[in-house]
Amino acid sequence: MESLVYIALFAPFVGSLFAGLFFARSPKTHLVGIVASGLLAVSFIASATLAIHVANYGPVHVTMMDWISAGDLSIPFGFVVDQISVTMMVVVTLVSTIVHIYSTGYMNHDKGYNRFFAYLSAFVFAMMILVMSDNFAGLFIGWEGVGVCSWLLIGFWYHKEDKTFEENPSISPSWAANEAFIMNRIADLGMLVGIFLIYWNIGSLQYDVVFAAMPNLADGILVAIAIALFIGAMGKSAQFPLHTWLTDAMEGPTPVSALIHAATMVTAGVFLIIRANPLYSLDAVAGVSMFIAALGAFVAFYAASMALNARDIKRIVALSTLSQLGYMFAAAGLGAYWIALFHLAAHAFFKALLFLGAGNVMHAMDDELDIFKMGGMKKVMMGSYIYMGIASFALAGLPIMAGFYSKDAIIETAFNDGSFIIWGILVITAGMTAFYSFRQVFFTFHGEERYKALGFHPHDMYKYVLVAMAPLAILAISVGWFMKDFQAFITSNSAIMPDYVMSDATHHIAWALGLLVIVVAVTGIIIAYKKYAGKGANAWKRDEEFEASFIYKLVENQYYVPKFYDDFIVQPYTIASKKFWEIDKAVVDGSVDLIGKMFYKSGDVSRGMQTGSLSAYLNWMGIGAMLLIVAAAITAFIG
Amino acid sequence: MDHILSILIFFPAVAGILGFVVDKSSAKAYGVSVAAVELILALGLWASFDNSNAGMQFTEFTPIISQFGISYNVGVDGISLFIVIMAALITLLGIILLRDDTKNMKNMIVSLLFLEMTMVGVFLSLDAIIFYMFWELSLVPMLYIIGAWGGPDRVYAAVKFFLYTFAGSLVMLVGLLAMAYLFHVQSGVWSFNLLDWYTLKLTTDEQFWLFLAFFAGFAIKVPMFPFHTWLPWAHGQAPTIGSVILAAVLLKMGTYGFVRFSLPILPDASVTFTPFIMGLSLVMVVYTAMVAFAQKDMKQVIAYSSVSHMGIIMIGVFAMNAEGLSGSIFLMLSHGIVSGALFMLVGVIYERTGTKMMDEFGGLAAVMPVYATVFGVMLMASVGLPLTIGFVGEFLVLLGFYKVSVIGTIIAGSTIIIGSVYMLALFKKSFLGPVRHEKNLGLKDLDGRELTALLPLVAIVVWLGIYPKPVLGPIDNSVKALLVQMENHAEQDSTKDAIIVSKKEVK
Repeated sequence: MESLVYIALFAPFVGSLFAGLFFARSPKTHLVGIVASGLLAVSFIASATLAIHVANYGPVHVTMMDWISAGDLSIPFGFVVDQISVTMMVVVTLVSTIVHIYSTGYMNHDKGYNRFFAYLSAFVFAMMILVMSDNFAGLFIGWEGVGVCSWLLIGFWYHKEDKTFEENPSISPSWAANEAFIMNRIADLGMLVGIFLIYWNIGSLQYDVVFAAMPNLADGILVAIAIALFIGAMGKSAQFPLHTWLTDAMEGPTPVSALIHAATMVTAGVFLIIRANPLYSLDAVAGVSMFIAALGAFVAFYAASMALNARDIKRIVALSTLSQLGYMFAAAGLGAYWIALFHLAAHAFFKALLFLGAGNVMHAMDDELDIFKMGGMKKVMMGSYIYMGIASFALAGLPIMAGFYSKDAIIETAFNDGSFIIWGILVITAGMTAFYSFRQVFFTFHGEERYKALGFHPHDMYKYVLVAMAPLAILAISVGWFMKDFQAFITSNSAIMPDYVMSDATHHIAWALGLLVIVVAVTGIIIAYKKYAGKGANAWKRDEEFEASFIYKLVENQYYVPKFYDDFIVQPYTIASKKFWEIDKAVVDGSVDLIGKMFYKSGDVSRGMQTGSLSAYLNWMGIGAMLLIVAAAITAFIG
Repeated sequence: MDHILSILIFFPAVAGILGFVVDKSSAKAYGVSVAAVELILALGLWASFDNSNAGMQFTEFTPIISQFGISYNVGVDGISLFIVIMAALITLLGIILLRDDTKNMKNMIVSLLFLEMTMVGVFLSLDAIIFYMFWELSLVPMLYIIGAWGGPDRVYAAVKFFLYTFAGSLVMLVGLLAMAYLFHVQSGVWSFNLLDWYTLKLTTDEQFWLFLAFFAGFAIKVPMFPFHTWLPWAHGQAPTIGSVILAAVLLKMGTYGFVRFSLPILPDASVTFTPFIMGLSLVMVVYTAMVAFAQKDMKQVIAYSSVSHMGIIMIGVFAMNAEGLSGSIFLMLSHGIVSGALFMLVGVIYERTGTKMMDEFGGLAAVMPVYATVFGVMLMASVGLPLTIGFVGEFLVLLGFYKVSVIGTIIAGSTIIIGSVYMLALFKKSFLGPVRHEKNLGLKDLDGRELTALLPLVAIVVWLGIYPKPVLGPIDNSVKALLVQMENHAEQDSTKDAIIVSKKEVK
């Protein structure tokens, strides 16, 4: 089994090296895409085999070699494949494989084709380290590794110029990439502090040692660790107020958005909380957990509200990702870790599908993102229409679809926990989710064919790419059917993952709760249909008055949060930096020069005494003698 | 391996003298050969180095003026070993990177070889007078390199560099003489032997003043805020090779001085001064990182970033635990490799375009992809990405310093944020976006000479990022011995409490 662990981990790395070392400077080579995808498939098969092994025989733990040892600290490269990590591994490698295959078609005309695969496979490798590591430092390797790959991939089209915020809220790919990196680093500092706290209080960073020692620690320390780690999670999973980078990250190629900024990397924060569930389920940190749940619910609503009137097809999907991450945190915060993980997996499938569908639309529309310019495209893009429809149904949580099981379970958890405010928010958000998802679908595929007047000639994606997307569609429909099996598998070892079951009272009215959510969601869909799917006389028309209203503007400008960051953080920092530089030159360096000048000047002045005239020297001697006598007299007098 | 240390110290100097008779056209080849032999010797030293021995090895002792206890006394331990190897490596790669049309190539080679002697000498000396001699002598070749091959303000910059550091060193010399005097008072004999000094028990008051005297010499060299302003000038005017060696090796003399002198000789004062050092270091980390962000000149960004990173090294030195101090010494090496490489990279573009202004570039990644890749790797190492050399030291320093001050660690830890702010801004301005100037479209990517100089550094960045053990192990060993020595040597119980050799024994 040990070799399978290494195959699962290193196959993507080999793919990345293959693309990066041998083909970095050669023109587009299809072989690169094929090899990278093939190696990902190998990694997936290894992960799936490991999953079966874990289910039957329990976790696999391997230690490759030492990494850092100094003082008492000893960090190995160790990997643990247990129920949690193997779930992540299967999800990550499966979605990655499909996205790799998809990219061979999507990036077909891009001159950075080979480079793209080098980055994308490197990302998967980093993500695998993140989920497989058996200690916090190893997790941090993956954590930063995915950050760098995300930076490289958001800024993939680095040659694009900076635009103003009004022209493009993301400014440019390279700007968005830097924003993502820096914002994540802010959170990473929190994470590092958490690691330091763990080390100095427990003396190890190994998960098993740390979690075993947790119950013995003082409450204050536990709370501090829980907060610090959660700050780390907030960055990667783009929770408020560190969320702005995620929508800007849409500057990257769409397969990247699907893989990194929807299915895998952004869920790393949720994964961390799930992984650290022995910490977060302690009574001492109940307050922190509650905060996580509340923040999650807030972000779910907040992001959904921004998706309601967004026009950019990718931003809508990105905001829905943000919103769904909120759901996951809500579940994790309420102690339903396995439900959070299940939603994470289900979300990965249907959101990747949604993004890839959106990618097809963009591909067809020459990278046009504005849904106002689309409409009626189902005729020309039947395949993508079906896929996006399935994904949206899954996201909206309609019966038998994945979201119906996973999202509903979260909403039910909130009810079960007695957190009715969170429950209420999540129900309302479910309605909004259904509305904006189908708003997008109807805007794109139904209604008047607005694109025709603009001169677009859309055509659907390559056949083989559409076929490659099929597994995602199947999973988006069916993964919920296996929820009970998943629960049995994941909670088989309560030390790794505690079970969460609804109380009998909740269980009895579960049907009513579920029905309520369905009714809310269907209402959302119907409203969207009425408004946006009509043709001819019923066709959607822009409502200028509404678009000019304060609330519309507020939401459209992302509640002015990016502007706030620019005005109150970026600009002041830039100004302060410049001021400091001036101070450095004028004051710090100036005073050094002043001392130098003082010596120079005093020499310059005293040089005047050296006239070469004997009588002048005699005069100076006289003055000197007098001064000495005076000094002697004063000393004598005082003495 | 008898006298290997003396060979290491004096071989470059002897070769330098012989270099005067070498023909001009083969001066560079001569320099490369000598530096390569030196590096092989240094690696040979590592090969025969006993990793399990934490103390001084290969020691040589020859009395010079026995009445005053001045002797030629050299030795190497885990702390100095790798700095010496790095100095040899950087010198070799720096010489390889020299352009064939460098004017007065022969003088340059001779200066560099003399500089190499002084650098190696400083790190191997165990006698305060010998140490001081090499310390001061190192100024001369560097003065010459900046003054003769520098930019338009080279004379001002060179003189500033010389006078500023020299002034600090003189105060340090007073401290060294006072140490010998105190030793004489206590033991009745004169000694400048560092290992003798380690046994000396000093009162808190004596330690206080001696610490300040040493501080003057070391802090200016580091350079600590607010004594850092000679550095941007020196870097701004120095030729590439000057900046590379200055940043990679010469600055480390300051931090090394704190480790070799201040900590073990003055443990109580070191602990007393920790808040003071921390204050200055934190200002250094944050303030210079912000100043770096404001720069328009690529080289100045790297120069100020050096100061900022030296701040992290400083807090590591004063963490008073093995994690922090080992990390700090590792960070000295990694900063040497990374900042050396970054200055080389700036030199590469300067040679091609005649400018270092970031506004003049833009889109270089498309024109010079290999160059951009190497720069990217060094950038990531500079911001401390795990699995690069930059992470190991930075992580350990912050981890170690956490024990001293939580708030201090968080402020210093902001380096991972603001460090990436200025580095990513630099990268974006120079390498990303559209190519702003037509003339930059024709720029050539790295050639063989440049790759020969840079690729070894890339390899080291990755190798020691993934597997730091061969280097970190011996460092950690000697650091623990140093901390034990400090602990035994400390006068006050509060000092003993502050020093943590191992948590296990504390509990």
